[in-house]
Amino acid sequence: MTVLRLGGYSIRLRHRVLAAVLGSLAALIALAMWSAATGSTSLGLERVWYALIGEGTKGDEFILWTLRLPRLATGLAVGACMGLAGALFQNLTRNPLGSPDLLGLTQGATTGALIAIIVTGSSLQVTTVLAAVGSLATGLLIWALTRGGDPSGYRLILVGIGVSAILAGINGYLLTRTTIIDAFRAVYWLTGDLSGRDFGQAAAVGIILAAGILVIALLSRGLDSLRLGEATATGLGVRVGATRVTALVTASVLTAGAVAVAGPLAFVALAAPHIAARLTGSSRSFLVSALVGALIVTAADMIAVAGVGDRQLPTGVVTGVVGGAYLIWLLIAHRKKGVLS
Amino acid sequence: MTASPLAAREATLGYGRTVISADLTVDIPEGEFTVIMGPNACGKSTLLKALARMLKPSTGTVLLDGRDIHSQPTRAVARRLGLLPQSPTAPDGITVADLVARGRYPHQGILKQWSADDERVVAEAMEATDIRDLASRGVDELSGGQRQRVWIAMVLAQQTPLLLLDEPTTYLDITHQIEVLDLCAKLHREGRTLVAVLHDLNQAARYATHLIAMREGAVVAEGPPADIVTAENVERVFDLPCRIIDDPESGTPLVIPKALASAPR
Repeated sequence: MTVLRLGGYSIRLRHRVLAAVLGSLAALIALAMWSAATGSTSLGLERVWYALIGEGTKGDEFILWTLRLPRLATGLAVGACMGLAGALFQNLTRNPLGSPDLLGLTQGATTGALIAIIVTGSSLQVTTVLAAVGSLATGLLIWALTRGGDPSGYRLILVGIGVSAILAGINGYLLTRTTIIDAFRAVYWLTGDLSGRDFGQAAAVGIILAAGILVIALLSRGLDSLRLGEATATGLGVRVGATRVTALVTASVLTAGAVAVAGPLAFVALAAPHIAARLTGSSRSFLVSALVGALIVTAADMIAVAGVGDRQLPTGVVTGVVGGAYLIWLLIAHRKKGVLS
Repeated sequence: MTASPLAAREATLGYGRTVISADLTVDIPEGEFTVIMGPNACGKSTLLKALARMLKPSTGTVLLDGRDIHSQPTRAVARRLGLLPQSPTAPDGITVADLVARGRYPHQGILKQWSADDERVVAEAMEATDIRDLASRGVDELSGGQRQRVWIAMVLAQQTPLLLLDEPTTYLDITHQIEVLDLCAKLHREGRTLVAVLHDLNQAARYATHLIAMREGAVVAEGPPADIVTAENVERVFDLPCRIIDDPESGTPLVIPKALASAPR
């Protein structure tokens, strides 16, 4: 641990967290460059550089600025949002499985998206807005239902599972009420994908991400103390109720933004905090979780673009398969300890 | 009458619609080691929770330094009053030094993360609880007694003149129970006001300087153990016929239960 002090101010730098931040940031930059340079047309880093500074060929600049960078930027922002939301939900539920998927926020986004696709015939903008509304509404519903009761994480999880089950039923019903073409579009949206995203969408998620990071920076000390239990945190002077509500709303907004733009990319929100925790040990870092989330989505999207044979895959297929495999590996690796942390 | 830094005034305490205590008035005397005791479900932990502002009275108030505890900023309260809950949870893999350092929370801020004061106070708290040698060990590797001393160190690092402890000896074997209670007695001698909930009547009588006996949500008796631990009071509180003798070790009252009339011989 290194402490920087200046007058009455002091900043504490934990070496392991610092190493994890710098390491994942370096990996992210390298991966982003690789991602920009490769794809169906391989540009190579040199041509990417020239296209980036505006001295490349028209074709190269089109590929980079219109096709690749918006998609890359959207993936980074979406991944970071999901990493943060997952870390918040795990902290709030004090459960390693606490994630927007388990708590029903993803299902809520799906309900919104299905209504948009079926009622408006799948205009992407309306789908995005209604998915965000659905996710956010689910988050608020869970908060309203758990308010004033036993504040433990279990209640949040159980209410979330209940809400999730109801929404899954509604989603199933909506799918049966649609035409085969809309149903196909809906299923494609449900898988989650980053293809064809533009800078406008990247910026929208980016703004949500920036706001989320700001709120989490203010909350993080309190959230860290909440890991000692509600009672201890109260004793230490944490405003437990206010902290938890703010965290729940923030996590819902982050999820809403990410899912609205990219669809429910499976497992990112679940896996990112776990991988981050393995990097940072007993300290938790929301920043590392965000970076890992961005890494997962960027890497998964590269695999999705490479695809199987000559067909690209939806990004969500890759995050689902890779994330699921990772979770199982984590369980096997921890078999002796018997816990996931 | 000594000044009371912490008090409940006609407080109605409960969970949801269940009322545990109605119109409860209790004063915690300054500089004493107060022990709250009574049979299971008598409301002793509920009272402690209310005093620690974890539970808001539905009517009445809890006063800290004469003012409503819920109207004061929670961080300011945390610099006056420390709490060791019944079963605190340590994050996986956290080290002893890290956990003790968490006690500094009410003295820190986003740009005041680790002052020279923080460092000194944490070292002193570990010294006082005799856990310096454990500083870099993981909390989950420790024995129950060591772990409890680590938690007490965390609360000490909070530097509060008032300490509330909810059943600090539960789940400990007898040696570690005595170890923790001796530590509490030492903290009391150093000038802190302690309030603890204890299960064991004899330990309460031995370590407390002020006893509060509760039954069915009400205070039945309070005062120095030598005055209130009488056969009559024990029977009133616990329905337990007993004899009281002097503890040959400490001279405090020692409760010797009689066989219950209904029990098989």
